[in-house]
Amino acid sequence: MSTALWLAVVASALGTLLMRVVPFLWMQRRLNSATGINNMPQWLGILGPLMIAAVLGVSIMPVNPSAISWFATAIGLSVTLLVWWKLRSLGWPVAAGVAVFGLVQVIAYI
Amino acid sequence: MNQLASHSPIRNAFKGVREAIPLLGGYIPVSLSFGLVATQAGFSMWEAAAISALIYAGASQFLFVGMVAAGSPLWLVVAMTLLINVRHVVYGPNLAALLPRSGHWPWLMHGLTDQVFALALTRLPQLAAPERFGWFVGASLLAWGVWIVGTMVGATAGETLTARWPLLGEVMPFALPALFLTMVAPRFTDKRWALALSCTILSALLLTFYGWSNVAIPLAAACGALCFYIVKFQTGRCNP
Repeated sequence: MSTALWLAVVASALGTLLMRVVPFLWMQRRLNSATGINNMPQWLGILGPLMIAAVLGVSIMPVNPSAISWFATAIGLSVTLLVWWKLRSLGWPVAAGVAVFGLVQVIAYI
Repeated sequence: MNQLASHSPIRNAFKGVREAIPLLGGYIPVSLSFGLVATQAGFSMWEAAAISALIYAGASQFLFVGMVAAGSPLWLVVAMTLLINVRHVVYGPNLAALLPRSGHWPWLMHGLTDQVFALALTRLPQLAAPERFGWFVGASLLAWGVWIVGTMVGATAGETLTARWPLLGEVMPFALPALFLTMVAPRFTDKRWALALSCTILSALLLTFYGWSNVAIPLAAACGALCFYIVKFQTGRCNP
């Protein structure tokens, strides 16, 4: 890589790091001020869970979209939800969902 | 005594490592792909690894190497990379109240990706305050390390791996939607949240489906927030 390209990598990395660090430190300082936790804006607390939901929406899209992969996604998510409903944990629902998703894909592949 | 032992930094870090393992289902295939794409775009294995280590933001890395390979001006490459990553601005403030003050945050926040944020926002409130720092270190360092190693493996053997196990790259990424579903499901606490979350998920899926994945997360979250506030307004009018 040329020096200019390395500079572009460093600039992108530094900019991304600042976007992650500065708002965090700013909010921690604000929360530790005299007025306390009420300083956290309400919209920010709402945006957090919605960002997770958005990441879920993006990740639902199959790697190679087809009728089978969409079907496997629907079955896999249903099983994940069902196991989560029973156990209310993070690990087993994910394992069960991936296993069923993979099984549907493998059966379709055969 | 037992309580002290359960708050040992190493133990907490291992707890974070263990709980971040499901994230790897998404990280490994994507980092392998990035390594492969980067080498095809003319980068060496070490250069691809450096990009993964320094920038560490999936979608923007693909854009970075793609634009460089296409001969775009470097100022535009940097601007577009930062534009895609601007969503990270809202992640830190959401975790600020959950994490203790520390001089290590300026470098530890480098590990705050979409997935680590989602996991941390869900798990940190369930952990005791002294456990949280170690947990975050463990979870974020595992994800970062795997991302870099995955890039290096993808750059050196990506083509061989995807040819030998074609289904691996399709099945493993399903760990991500499954994990995020278990994080979002408990938040369907009332009709207002259910509507806002459903609106967000659907918007993000549609935007991704139509090729707008780079802006899908902030746009979909904005749609959900709009939905959240509109529903509140209507409820308020019905029940003054």
